Amino acid sequence: MNRRALLGGLFAAASVPALSACASGITSLDGQGDAAGGGGSSKGGVTIGTANFTENQVLGFLYAAVLKAAGVKVTVRPNLGTREIVIPALKGGDIDLLPEYQGALLNYLDPKATPTEEGAMQNALTLALPAGLQVLPYGTAEDSDAFVVTRETARKYGLASLADLKKQNGRLVIGAAPEVKKRRVGAVGLKDVYGAEFKEFKSLDSDGPLVKGALKKGDVDVANLFTTDTDIEAEDWVVLADPEHLIPSQHIVPLIADRKADDTVRKALARLGNVLTTADLTALNRQVDKDKKDPEDVADAYAEQHGLAK
Amino acid sequence: MYELFKNLGTWLVSGSQWSGPDGIAHRLAEHLQYSLLATLIAAAIGLPLGLLIGHTGKGTFLAINLASFGRALPTVGLVVLVFLAGGLSMLPVYVALVALAVPAIVTNTYAGMTAVDPDVKDAARGQGMRGRQVLLRVELPLALPLVLTGLRLALIQVVATATIAAYVSFGGLGRYVFDGLAQRDLVQVLGGAVLVAAVAVVLDLALSGLQRFLFRHRTA
Repeated sequence: MNRRALLGGLFAAASVPALSACASGITSLDGQGDAAGGGGSSKGGVTIGTANFTENQVLGFLYAAVLKAAGVKVTVRPNLGTREIVIPALKGGDIDLLPEYQGALLNYLDPKATPTEEGAMQNALTLALPAGLQVLPYGTAEDSDAFVVTRETARKYGLASLADLKKQNGRLVIGAAPEVKKRRVGAVGLKDVYGAEFKEFKSLDSDGPLVKGALKKGDVDVANLFTTDTDIEAEDWVVLADPEHLIPSQHIVPLIADRKADDTVRKALARLGNVLTTADLTALNRQVDKDKKDPEDVADAYAEQHGLAK
Repeated sequence: MYELFKNLGTWLVSGSQWSGPDGIAHRLAEHLQYSLLATLIAAAIGLPLGLLIGHTGKGTFLAINLASFGRALPTVGLVVLVFLAGGLSMLPVYVALVALAVPAIVTNTYAGMTAVDPDVKDAARGQGMRGRQVLLRVELPLALPLVLTGLRLALIQVVATATIAAYVSFGGLGRYVFDGLAQRDLVQVLGGAVLVAAVAVVLDLALSGLQRFLFRHRTA
C-alpha cells in the first residue's frame, strides 16, 4: 500500500491545532529541524509505532534496528492505523517515534500549507507540529506522488518531464484515483503549473491493480503512482520529472516526542536517513509484498548489510 | 446531522446538480442504460436456460448450483478479474452484472415451470400437443408471473449494483459514491446512494404494479 492511505480516517477531521508556536517544539529553523536536545532521553527505551501499510512497517523496523545497534531499548508496535490514531498515540505517550512523510504529515497538520520543496517543508513542519513533538532531519528516501508513462509512450510523445505534457494537450488519457481529478497534485495542478490538458481523466484506483493494469494495456497514457512502487522499475516505466515542484516533497522524516529525542537517537536515525535511498526502500517493499518476507527480517538484514547494525 | 441532511437536500434538488455531463440527469440515464442492457443480456441467457430445465426436468442440479455459484461471486472481484484479463472497457462491468442477474432469472423461471400442475401438462399432451406447444402455450403462460418476478428481481439487483461501473472509470450514479468517498465529500456519497435506492424502489414498485395489472384476472 502507500502513504496516502495514512491520510486515512475517511471523514475524520484533522483536529490538531495548525500552528502551535510552542517553546519546546521549535528549536531550529534551518531547514533540517536539527533540534538541540531539549532534555530528551532515550534511557527508558523508545516505543516505535507504525501505520498500517508495508512501507511504514519496514521503516519502523529499520528505526528499531539502528536504535538497538546504538544501545537503545526498543519496542515496536506495528500496524497501528491512520494518522488519526497514531498522532494522538504519540502525543499521549503510547508511542514515542513514528516514521513519517514530509508532505503528507504537513497536509495533516495544516491542510492550507503551501511549501512543496523539501527544505521549506521541513520548516513548515517544525512550525505546524504541536507542543512536545518534533521532526528530525529528513532522509534521502522519498515516497511521493509520481506521474508515470510507459517507455514506449515517453518515446512516442517525447515525454521526460511534466512540462512536456502540454505539447500533447488533448491527446493523452490520464488514469488516477478519483480524488486526483480535483486535487492540486493532480489534474488541477498539472493544468495550472504545467498547462497540461488531457483528453480524458479516467477514475481508477490509487496505485492499485486498476491504474497499473490500464497503464500496462495502454488504456491510459499517464498514470498517477508512487515513487516506491516496485512495478515502476520492473516494468521499465518512466517517472516524469517535476521541475516546478508541483508535487510536495515526501522525504521520510522521523517524528518523535521531545521527551525521547536525545543525541543517541538523533545520530542513529540520521545515519539511516543518509544511507537509505528511494531505490533501497522500493526493494525492501518488494521483499515484503512480493516475496512475502517478514518486515522485521527485511529491515534487520538491510541494517546488517549497510553497517547500520553496529 | 441536521446540517448533513440539509446539505443533502440542497444537493439533490439544485438545478446545477442536475445538468451537464456530470449532472444527475445524465448519470441517471447512464445508470439505467447499464442496468437495462445487463438485464436484457441476462434474460437472453437465463430465460431459455430456465425454460429448458423446467420443461425437460433435466439439469435441475445444474440450475440450483449455477444459481448459488452466481450469488456467491464477489461482483467487484469479477470486475477486476475481467479487467485484468481484457483491459479497460465496459465489458468487465457487464460480465459482472450479467453474472449477478442470471441466477435470479434462471431459478425463478425454473420455479415457475415446476409449479405448473402436472395434470394440466398431461391434459395438454392428451389433446395431442407436442412438447414445444406444451411449453409455449401451456407452461410458459402459467409460469409467467414467476418468470416476470425473476426478471424484476434481477433488474433491481443490477440497478443496485451498477454503481461498480464507476469503479472502473465509467459513469452511472456510482460516480457520486466513488468520487465522494475519494474526495471525502459525504454529501455526494449520500446523494448517490439515495438516488440508487430511489431508482431501485421506484422500478420495483412500477414493475410489481405492472405485474398485478397484467395478471389481475388470475387467482394465485
